[in-house]
Order: sequence, then C-alpha cells, then structure tokens
Amino acid sequence: MAKQTISNIKLGVFVITGLLFLILLLYMIGKNENLFGSTFRLRAQFGNVQGLTSGNNIRYAGIQVGTVKKVRILNDTLIEVVMLIETKMKDFIRKNAVVSIGTDGLMGNHVLNITPVAGTADLVGDNDILPVKKMESVDDMMQTLAKTNEDVAVIASQLKNTVLRINSSTAVWEILDDKTVPQHIRSSLINVRSATAKASRLISDLQLVLSDIRDGKGSLGAIITDSSFAQNLQAALLRINEVGADADTLAKTINSLTRQVQDDLDRGGGTANVLLKDSTFARNLRESILNIREGTDGFNEIMEAMKHSFLFRGYFRNLEKQKKANLLLKQ
Amino acid sequence: MQIKNWKNWFDEAGDMSRFAGRFFSQWFRPRYEVAEFFRQCFIIGYKSLPLVGLTGFIMGLVLTMQLRPSLIDYGVESQLPAMVGIAIVREIGPVIAALIFAGKIGSSIGAELGSMKVTEQIDAMEVSGTNPFKYLVVTRVLATTLMLPVLVMLGDAISLYGSYLGVNIRGVTSFQLFWTQVFDNLSFSDVLPAFIKSFFFGFAVGVVGCYKGYNSRKGTEGVGRSANSAVVLSSILIFIIDLIAVQVTDIFELN
Repeated sequence: MAKQTISNIKLGVFVITGLLFLILLLYMIGKNENLFGSTFRLRAQFGNVQGLTSGNNIRYAGIQVGTVKKVRILNDTLIEVVMLIETKMKDFIRKNAVVSIGTDGLMGNHVLNITPVAGTADLVGDNDILPVKKMESVDDMMQTLAKTNEDVAVIASQLKNTVLRINSSTAVWEILDDKTVPQHIRSSLINVRSATAKASRLISDLQLVLSDIRDGKGSLGAIITDSSFAQNLQAALLRINEVGADADTLAKTINSLTRQVQDDLDRGGGTANVLLKDSTFARNLRESILNIREGTDGFNEIMEAMKHSFLFRGYFRNLEKQKKANLLLKQ
Repeated sequence: MQIKNWKNWFDEAGDMSRFAGRFFSQWFRPRYEVAEFFRQCFIIGYKSLPLVGLTGFIMGLVLTMQLRPSLIDYGVESQLPAMVGIAIVREIGPVIAALIFAGKIGSSIGAELGSMKVTEQIDAMEVSGTNPFKYLVVTRVLATTLMLPVLVMLGDAISLYGSYLGVNIRGVTSFQLFWTQVFDNLSFSDVLPAFIKSFFFGFAVGVVGCYKGYNSRKGTEGVGRSANSAVVLSSILIFIIDLIAVQVTDIFELN
C-alpha cells in the first residue's frame, strides 16, 4: 500500500506538471492577445487598411501595447479600426497621437503604429477616435519608382551620348594626353599662390593705413578726423572764394582799361596813341637818345680830364686805396 | 479469397467500432474501478514520460539544427525559435509522442490482455462476478485517453528546451528571448487543436490495444500477433486522425 501511495504522488506530480505547462502556454498566448488584463478601446478611421486584420499588433512608439479588435466598414470610403489598448497606456497616449499602418519588417505582418506628436493635448479616453496619417502604400511607391526609372533611362541615354561625343572628340583627348598640362597648371597655381600672398600683404598694409587714418594719423587722417582742420579748410576755401571774387573785379577793371586803351588807340588821342602810333614822336625820341649818347661821351672825356688834373688827382688816389682795403678785408 | 479478405477487414472494423461503443456505454456506469484506473495511469502515463521526453528532446534539437541552413538561405535565421516552436506545438510534439506511446503502451496492452485472454483469465474474471470489460478495458482506455495529452504537453516543453539548446549551438540566444519569440508567434489556434487531437490519439491507442488483446486467439502465437497488430493499427490510426484533425481545423478556420 505504501508503494501505491508513492506512485500516486508521482502520478499527481506528472499530471499537474503537464497541466501547468498547458495553462502556462495558454496564459502566455492569451496575454499576447490581450485576453487577460484590463484594456480600453480606441478607434481610428482609414480610407484603406491595406490588409490589416483583427489580431494584428499595435505599437505605441515601438512598444507593443495592444491588438486590433476588429476592422469594420463604415461606408464606401471609410473603414474603422477598433483597437484594444492596455489600460496603463491611458496615462501616455494623447489625443493628438497619430495612427498609421506599417509592416513588421520588410515583408512581415501589418502593424498599427501610434506615434506621439509634439505639443500638448488631453489624454485619450475610452472609444476616442485618433487622427490617422496616410502612409505611402507599396503600390504608390512602385508607381513613383516606375516614373523615376523612366527619368533615369532618359538621363542615362543622354549621358551615353555625352560620353560618346567626348570619346570621339580629339580636342579633349589632346588636352588629356598632353603631359605638359599638369606642369602648366602647377606653375599657374604657384603664380596664383604668390599673387594671393602678395594680395594678402597688400591688404594687410591697406588695413594698417586704414587703421592709421581711423586713428587720425597722417594728413589724410587729419583731413578725415580733425575737426579744426576741417574748419581751417573751410575758412581757406572761403578766402579762396573771396580772392576769386576780387580777381573777378580786377579782371573786369583790366578789361575796361584795355577797352579804354583800345578806344584811345582807335580814336588817336591820349598817351598810348602817341607812344604806339605817332611816327614823329618816335623819330624825336630816337634823336633825343642820340643826343644823350653824345652828351655822355662828352661827359666821359671831361671825367678823364679831371682824373689827370692835379686838383682832383689826390681824391681819386684815396678812392683807389679804399677799394683795395675793402678787397683785403673780404679775403 | 480476395472477397473473404475484404469481408474480414470490414468485419473487424465493425467489431472494433462496437468495442468502442461498448466502452462508451460502460465507462460512466458504476461501479468505478478507481484504484485500478490510477494504477493504469501511473503505468501508462508516468512510466512513459522518460521515453516521450527523450524523443521529444532529440526531435526539438534535431529539427532546429536541420531547419537552420534553409532559414539562413532565406536570411530569417532569427525566426528559428518561432518556426520550431510552431512546428513542435502544432504537429511534431503530438504526433511523435503518440507514435512512441503507441509503440510502448499499445503493444503492452495488446500483449497483456492477449495473454490474459489466451490463459482464460478474462473468462475466470467473468465467472467470479467482476466485469472484465470495466476492470481491464475501461480503465486502460480512459488512462490512455487522459494521459497522452499530459504527455504531449510535457513532451512539448522538453522539445522546446531541446530546441533552445539547438539554437544555441550555432548562435547565441538568451532563454528569455527564445521564450518570447516562441510565445509571440503562437496562438490559441496552434495549441488547442493539437491538445484536443492528442485525446483522440490516446483513445485510439487504448481502444486498438484493448481490442486486439481482448480478441486474441490461437494461444501464445496470437498474443504476439495481437501485440504487433495493435502497434501497427494504432500508428496508422494516429496518422488518419491527424489527417482528419487538420481538415476539421481548416473547416473551422483555426489554421
């Protein structure tokens, strides 16, 4: 009988272990399908659900939060998806969160993504309708891809033409084959480099000059910065202006004078006319000058005679001595 | 001769159906052979666990290692736990456990009852006032029917553990990740049909073994033949029931 009891215990352990595993299996599956635990409902309305069915997973920011309860048609363009979400997510999902249909991986099952959006909004309640975002379906992507492919084909054919033309052109190949081109380019680059170095030096000099000018050094600086200089300049300019005006009047006076002289000359009266136009006056003047020359010649003879006369010889000798003394003093 | 064979075949099928019907008409009627039922449960269930567990473990390990190359070809090596989990729970676990069960229990029931029949122990039981059908057949068939599902569940668990080791031979997967991947991809429609069909497997093994033993003839030679045919027939019945089960689950859209 003791043996019987032991075998019963073993049997009990065996059966209970088996049943526990079954229960665990069913519980784990039920947990995945949200059969246990409290849930609440959310709704979203799509134009096309792309094959979403009840039981598909729902993710909030990538976390599994529930499953699709059912998909039902409201009218010909509107399909409503009812979602079962874990109650604890009520504290996180807001009314402005966007629902979109995606796939798990590239070829996987459809999933419903609830994406949080920046900005404030109230937390969701039971049976709320969330806004949806239309995702690019695979068909749309394929159509876009087809268009892109056509464009690429056109571009490729044109590119082919270009390449063919480049290949057939001798000029391009000459340039490419020319071994001296790199050297030229290199020397050009060296020149450019030295030019830029010079330019930079020039610019630094200019900068120095400009800073000097700004600081008021030099005449240009004085012109630009010194206010008293500017006043002086203004005064000078005023003076120049006045002088200009004076010169104007002077010129007018000269003008009237010359006009008067001209009139005198034309009319035959006055001193100028006599000086310039009267021929008898000229002859008289020449004779007078001849007379003066003869007079001075006579005077010279008289002076020579006086030097040799005993009366005046002493005077002239003193004069000569004084001249020599002056000459010695200078040396 | 040919017609006689066909006649025999149908005769046996009808006889077996009547035998199963007799089980249904008797199992819920008093008096109940509770102690004998538990003893049979212990022998049939508990004593079969090492064998079922070993085959399950090896099947899980081997299946995982065999599937890996093809999954690598498709670049979905990470789906190995999910795939093996579904294969084991849906099909491999129940069928392998049932076949091993048929080999071990079907033959032993057939031989035991056959030898009791040919040594006229059953007739003696009837004379002494005990209902031999209740005492021998009902307890055994009930025990096989109820114990095989438990064995299948434990075999699944051991199989999945073997699969976990198999995944870790070439890759590195934590037990938690393996666990999550397996259960994320299982649904009730995977577990429940498999669980329910294992009752039918157990019932088939029990009924065939008992029928073959109970109707054993021609002395010791007949005992060997009934043990042998019990294993063969119950194995074939397991596959037929499996075929029917998959059709039924398909009709109910549980696949």
